[in-house]
Amino acid sequence: MSVIQLDDVGLKFQVRRFGRISLKEYLLQGLFRRAKKATFEVQALEHIDLCVEEGDRLGIIGHNGAGKSTLLKLLAGIYPPSSGHRRVDGRVSALFDIALGFEHDASGWENICYRGFLQGETPRSIRAKMQPIADFSELGDFLNMSVRYYSAGMMVRLAFSIATAIEPEILIVDEVLAAGDLAFQTKAREKMKHLISRARAVIVVSHDLASLELMCDRVLWLDHGHVRQLGPAKEVIAAYTQEVSGGARQAA
Amino acid sequence: MTGYFSEIWRLRYFWMALVRIDLRNRYRRSVIGIGWSLLHPIAMTVVLCVVFSQLFRQDIRTFAPFLLSGLTLWGFITAVVMQGCQCFFVSESYIRQQRAPLAIYPLRTTLGAGFHFVLGFGIAAMLVWCVRGFGNPPVLLSLIPTLALLFVIGWSLAICAGVANVMFQDSQHLIEVLMQVLFYATPIIYRPEMLLERHPLMPWFVFLNPFAALLELIRKPLLDGVLPAPWAIDMSLALAVAAAAMAALALRRFEKRMIFYL
Repeated sequence: MSVIQLDDVGLKFQVRRFGRISLKEYLLQGLFRRAKKATFEVQALEHIDLCVEEGDRLGIIGHNGAGKSTLLKLLAGIYPPSSGHRRVDGRVSALFDIALGFEHDASGWENICYRGFLQGETPRSIRAKMQPIADFSELGDFLNMSVRYYSAGMMVRLAFSIATAIEPEILIVDEVLAAGDLAFQTKAREKMKHLISRARAVIVVSHDLASLELMCDRVLWLDHGHVRQLGPAKEVIAAYTQEVSGGARQAA
Repeated sequence: MTGYFSEIWRLRYFWMALVRIDLRNRYRRSVIGIGWSLLHPIAMTVVLCVVFSQLFRQDIRTFAPFLLSGLTLWGFITAVVMQGCQCFFVSESYIRQQRAPLAIYPLRTTLGAGFHFVLGFGIAAMLVWCVRGFGNPPVLLSLIPTLALLFVIGWSLAICAGVANVMFQDSQHLIEVLMQVLFYATPIIYRPEMLLERHPLMPWFVFLNPFAALLELIRKPLLDGVLPAPWAIDMSLALAVAAAAMAALALRRFEKRMIFYL
């Protein structure tokens, strides 16, 4: 029984040429058909077929702008597919843009609650997790302070600690391993390893090919929104490395 | 549909916490706390009382609670619509982070504004009670369904305004103008009776305005001690149904795509 199934999924972005569109513009456009179209489309993903089974650890690689993060957001249910079919069976926990989503006027403690509630916790269930989250973040007395005064690194620490406090069923990770200072990175990596070992399925985007090869059994190589190759981690990473270094040699 | 609501209910701790922090931030920032947010309707009431008591020979004792109740209700409608315009942008980082029904963000706006409304309305009620007492207290019970109705209308309007503003950037400006026009077209600072006698078409102007009906719904029991007229109940229900239908339609059509326009 597969946990995640994508059948011929495509995703088109409507990009607006001049930022956001106004109603006035929209109506004028309707009146005068000759008016230049204010939006154009970007095919971010096309013909993606993917099946993630119970116990799978899938890595996603590709150059910048290949659609890796978009694919993750689609899997997490944040972007709807514009064509094809997406089926996800289980609770998804996603770790991306994790420094976002804080109430700046609330303290660290309160933000732990809010994030927890958004992830579906109840006041009762979050109470037991508060202290471990606080301990893991190592923020100590700073947690009593309003998040407005946190440094970027402190926010990442807090966000990572909250997001990883729940036991995920399906874990989706977007390169968060580069979070915080060196000591925290090591700790975060340990925590990730632990989470990955417990989750029913894991999907990771990373440019760190060495750790991907260790972490994942399968790798998906994404190229301009298409699946270039999908197979055993070693094989795909080798092919990818060869192409990238080959391209570099050609350029030189 | 039920699935959508149960999802909203499942996340209740989240949006309730957000409402709580909105209220706290609003009150904590000022020395006089709660009084601060009520300053606007109260100051308006005082000024208008002074002016209108001279201009139209109104008795201050009845006119002051009339004004205050009207202004707080209008304050609620404006807050819901204007803050509703921004509600998705304010919550953008949550929307990008976790899949959740988008209706919870306008709900946050509505509950916050609703709290202020209840406070302001409470003060108006106290004013009435101090000045001349309630004529017929059991009639006040009719305010409970009215509150529920206001909640539905507020939430729906906030959703509509929010969606419109995400899809078209000049919506907020248009809505602002519309609200200003409605403020003068609605018997908020003047009595509907003042209009009714002036021109044969004026009654339609009042009776077809759903916001005038809402005002009638809260003012009649509070100020006159009688139940609101049937036309007011019908009009308010019609507004609630229409607004809710529009909100449902807007969400159905745009909810999934909104993420691309934030």
